Order: sequence, then structure tokens, then C-alpha cells
Amino acid sequence: MTRYLDLYRLFLAQRLKVLLEYRASFVIGAASVTAIQVAGLAAVWSVLRQIPTLNGWTLDEVLLVYGLAVLSESITHMFADNLWTLGWAYVRTGQFDRLLVRPVDPLFHLLADRFCHDGLGDFAVGLIVVIRSLTALDLHLGPSGLGFLVLSVLSGGAIFVALNLLTATTAFWFIESLPLTRSVYALHDFAKYPLTIFHRSVRALLTWAVPYGFCSYYPASHLLGREAGALAWLGPVVAAVLMAAALAFWRFGLRRYQETGS
Amino acid sequence: MTALRDRIGVMAAIGAMALKRELAERSWFWMQLVVRLVTMLVLAHFWRAVYADTERLGGLAFQQTLDYALLAQVLAPLSEHKLITTFSRLLSTGDMAIELLRPVDLQASEYAGNLAGLVLYEAFQLPLLVVAWGFLGLRLPGDPLTWAAFLVTLLLGHAILFLADWILACLAFYTTEAWGIGVMRHVLSTFFGGALLPLAMLPGWLRGVADALPFAQGIAAPTLVLAGVTPLAQLPSVWGLQLAWLAGLWLLSRLAFARAVRQVTVHGG
Repeated sequence: MTRYLDLYRLFLAQRLKVLLEYRASFVIGAASVTAIQVAGLAAVWSVLRQIPTLNGWTLDEVLLVYGLAVLSESITHMFADNLWTLGWAYVRTGQFDRLLVRPVDPLFHLLADRFCHDGLGDFAVGLIVVIRSLTALDLHLGPSGLGFLVLSVLSGGAIFVALNLLTATTAFWFIESLPLTRSVYALHDFAKYPLTIFHRSVRALLTWAVPYGFCSYYPASHLLGREAGALAWLGPVVAAVLMAAALAFWRFGLRRYQETGS
Repeated sequence: MTALRDRIGVMAAIGAMALKRELAERSWFWMQLVVRLVTMLVLAHFWRAVYADTERLGGLAFQQTLDYALLAQVLAPLSEHKLITTFSRLLSTGDMAIELLRPVDLQASEYAGNLAGLVLYEAFQLPLLVVAWGFLGLRLPGDPLTWAAFLVTLLLGHAILFLADWILACLAFYTTEAWGIGVMRHVLSTFFGGALLPLAMLPGWLRGVADALPFAQGIAAPTLVLAGVTPLAQLPSVWGLQLAWLAGLWLLSRLAFARAVRQVTVHGG
């Protein structure tokens, strides 16, 4: 474990050197992602400031849900963005073999290969929105509330990573995995809003099948004192189960992997 | 006359090539369909919830907003020209020199390719329209006149955005940050073009910014016509404004390219 932490630090240092070599790209990358989030937030704000509530949720409450979703997303964006590239940049090109002959876990190597600085923009926006809505709602989280918040974001991030890992692993069979990853990833858009505004089937989908709901809606409900039952606390369990399944699938795929010969 | 026919023949061949390139990537097509469908579902629910508490918003009733929001999802990607990346690729490989030597105008040939892409893209969006119409409550106009007016507005808007992108793409002659420029342009066109929400719902100062940028001409203007928000009687002023944008941007785009092209030196290889 310590070895891997040390290794990650080394990978990160190298990556930062590369990034800082092209400073303008570094800034533009982070700024552009920030701009995408800000545009989405501005749209929600423009509409909701004109109406009293969205299905019983005030503007600040909706923003808390939105902010938590962005914050969870930022984790996969920063630390696991390379999963998006597994198909076209590693398997297709044969670069994946390079990871297999090294004395480190190939999944670790894949993720550590590229820390994605664009995610820093997501992280900043999510953090600001969450803090702002908590302040506006006058919610004083004690140490336990704060712990709950941090745990929720971490398990939310794990859910994002696990779902991307599950879909990216299909690259071992189909080579092109990005379209599937992008399609499943699209569903997280639902989780930026209170799930109560959607049809029951959507709520079930986002809870039990593609559980993005645990990244934002359920923890926000709990923090706001809304009835969420046991689901409020289920996030970490869901994240752990999903991650275990994704890792098992990855190992299964890895055993089936044959290089493309290109 | 023969010269004109030859010219059109060349443009048609370029357009056909663009179609073949697009069709080669089928899984990407399905992906885009799923992604758009999810966004449309989110929007349909979102607007329903918004209008549960209010009658009108930004002067629009629920059905108008729903139609607008769903149609904007179908139409917004029309504004995605790949000019910025194309220019940056041509410059980094040096192929720009070859492009400039060809006996067709680069701008005209790129436009022909883009236009063909527009037609293909529209054809691919039909399933989305059917789903939105059948399951999400989208209402489409039955009046052929509205469809015709929409097509004219769409073509004008498409040309305006093409020229705006052409000007932005000229920046590739000066900087290597083509990717960043592309993303920024995408964000600006999505928001200020009216892809996320009807521009009438923006606060005044944001509305002012949207009016000062060309993006609404390509996204909001045709969408408003097809959603039936813009009455047909207003079309002359809508088209007048679009033509003014078109003329201004065309002039600017020619100037920008003529100036930018002096920047490039391609060494033989």
C-alpha cells in the first residue's frame, strides 16, 4: 500500500512536470471544464430564481444536490479519467502491453498514468456550490454531519469510478469502449436534480441499477432533514459493492485480453 | 455555365466525402443518440416540475418551453463545426499549404462539407424527434409553411455559425491552444445560443450578452420558429437580422483568413 502511495506520488510529480511545461494548456483545460459547469449552474439559477420551489425544493436545496453531484464527479475526473482512453489509446494501439510487463498492478498504472487536471475545475465549482448552499440554508453541520458529507462525496466518487471501470473494461472485447462509457455516464445528469422530479422508473434506475442517486440526492436529502430512510446511509455500501463488482469484471477482462497485434 | 456546373460538381463530391467519413463511426452515432435522449428526458421532467408552480416563465407557457427545450437539444449540435480542430491539424501537419494550392476556395469547400454534414445529422435526429413527439410531449407544427420558414432560418443560422467558427479557427494560426478555444466556444454557444434554456428566461444583462453574440442566430432563432414561439409575421425581421450577421461575419471571416494566412510558413518535407 505504502509502495503504491509512493509510486502515485512519483507518477503525479512526473505528470505535473508535463502539465507545467504547457502552462497555457493547463489553465485552459481547468478553466474550460469550470466554464461548462458554470453554464449549467447559470441555467438552473436563471430559471429557479423565478419560481418559489422545484417540486418543493428551493433554489439553494437544488444547488446542494447539484453541487454534490459535481463534487463526486470531480473525483473520477481527477483520478480516473484515463479509463475513458483505455479503448482507443491503450488497447487499440497496443500501449496496454506496456502496462502488463511492468511490476505494478496494471489498473493502478493505467489510472496513475494521467492525473487529469481538468477535474480541478469540477472540484472547485462543486465545493463552492456546496459551501454556498449550506451557508444560504443556514445548515450548521457538526463534526458528524461533516463526516457524513465527506464520506458521501468519497463514495459518490467511487460510484462514478466503478461505473466507468465497468464500461471501460468492455474494451478488452470490443476495443472501442468510449461510446458505452459515455452513454452510461450520461445518466449522471439525472443526479444533478432532486430525484423526486422524475418518474418512479428513473428514480429506481438511479438507485438500484446505475446508482448515481447516492452521489447527490440521497446524501442531500439526509442533510436537509428530508425523509430518505436507510437509503441516506447506503451510499458507502453501494459504492463498495459496485467497486468490488467492477474490479472483478476488470480482472476477468484482463484474463481475456489479447493484444490487437497492431 | 459549364464552369458553374463543374464547381457545383466539385462541391457535391466534397459533401459526399464528408458523409462517408461520418457514417464510418456507427457506435459513436448510437452513443450520441443515447446521450441526447437522456438529456431530453431530464429536461422534460425538469420543465414539468418548474411549471408545476407557475403559469408562464419568460413570457412562455409550459408547452412552448417544452417544445423549445426538446427541439433545441436536436438542433444545438448543428452548431458543432469542426473547423477549429481542422485548422489546427492542417497547420500542425503542414497540409495547409496543400489546401491553399487546391483550385477550390478553402472556405467554400469546407462549407460544402459542413452543409452535407448538416443534412446527414438532421436525418439521424429523426428517431429522437419521434421519441420526443411520442413519449415526451413534444408538439411539432402541422403547417408546412412553418417547416419551410424553419428550414430557411436554420440554413441562415448554420451559415452564420460556420462563419463565426471560421473566424475563431483563424486563431489557430497564432496559438496552439485549439482544443481550449474549441471548448470555450462550445460553452459559449451552448449557453448564449439558447441550447440550455429559452434566452427570454435569462436576466437582462445575460440576455444582452446573448444578443451581442452570433450563437443565438444559429440555435435559438430556428428553434423558436419550429416551436411556434416566433410568429410567421415576424420572419422578415428575423431573417433581416440573420442576413446582417451573415454579411458582417462573411466580410470579417475573409479579412481574418487573409491576415492569418500570412502567419504560416510551411517547410517542405
